Amino acid sequence: MTAEAFAQENRSGERKWRRRSLWSVILLIPLAIAVEAYDSVKALLADNDLFSRRVAWGQSAHFGGSDWKLTDLRGAFGMANLPPDSVPVLADFQVTIGNPDLQNLWLGCKIVLIDKDGRHWSPTTLVSLKTPDTVQTCVSAIFSGAKTGDTLNLRETFLVPKEATKSIRPAVGVASERPHFLLFQMEKD
Amino acid sequence: MMRRLANILLLLVAVAFCYGLQLSKPHYGDLIGPIPARGKLGDTIVGRGFEARAEKVEFARNLRTDRFGETEILTTGGVWAVVTVKFAARAQSTVVSIASWRGPTGLTYDQTERLSFANDLLPVPIDPGLPRKARLVFELRPDQVSNATLLISEKLLAALDSQAEISLGPIAVGADGMPAGTVDTFDMTQPL
Repeated sequence: MTAEAFAQENRSGERKWRRRSLWSVILLIPLAIAVEAYDSVKALLADNDLFSRRVAWGQSAHFGGSDWKLTDLRGAFGMANLPPDSVPVLADFQVTIGNPDLQNLWLGCKIVLIDKDGRHWSPTTLVSLKTPDTVQTCVSAIFSGAKTGDTLNLRETFLVPKEATKSIRPAVGVASERPHFLLFQMEKD
Repeated sequence: MMRRLANILLLLVAVAFCYGLQLSKPHYGDLIGPIPARGKLGDTIVGRGFEARAEKVEFARNLRTDRFGETEILTTGGVWAVVTVKFAARAQSTVVSIASWRGPTGLTYDQTERLSFANDLLPVPIDPGLPRKARLVFELRPDQVSNATLLISEKLLAALDSQAEISLGPIAVGADGMPAGTVDTFDMTQPL
């Protein structure tokens, strides 16, 4: 082989590898982004209630190992010492326990009210209403030691502006089901 | 010869450029720090999760509070500043917990912890559509009163989240070195 032919072969080999490298960049950059973003995307999906599962009025839905049913959503009018134009709202649920491992399945349990504009209300500490001993909140139920087949009555209290009361719907999210959450519909929906 | 000179010149330019990059590189803390939402006294400042409007700033030598039914007077070697702020939640319920007072020379004062038992102090939970007032109380050196900035955020580490920065403007100082309009005793038990 002459020196010239050798050099030519070298050049074409180099060109070939340069082309391969360029193509591999097109593949590797999105791959690197995907690997880098994996943990963040996983955290985003695991920490947020993003996709709603609608539950019709009067129906129950299997969620976090148990069957959830909205039994009542009503305003408690006529209370004193509240901000003007605000109404306490009580949301009552009946939950039939399926899998009793609530400390894992119901971790991060969050019940909120969502209105037609997408505003979220969390349970309030401003209103304290007397509740019967059999009524618990979502978080206290986690530690209630409930067994399979038990029925729990859960209640959360919210403070909502009057103008929003017509369109609010209760929503339930637990860590084991995120990013999905239950959105309960009302009778008139 | 020319080629070598050009190379050296290019190298120097590259060194200068890299040095410039290094100098202007923001600190990691700045990159992930709070995002300021600026305004002045009386403005409604809109952050990601909450809105804040500082309505008034009052100064006092003493604070009167109620502690388990007994009146208590809190004195200070400096001056008390009481800021009345109206808060509103935006898209979802939240809690505004942190406020600090940054004086003109950069000295920053956290809220006083001497009042932890009083009402209407931070942390204040707020719900959408239900604005609520709160008092922020600081114990300051009198020379840190004028041209100060109030910093308010939901959480202590407001990384990549809004922080309201409210400039409080110049405040005249009286002959005794105290801010003009300083009252002797401010009554914290008065409703907002």
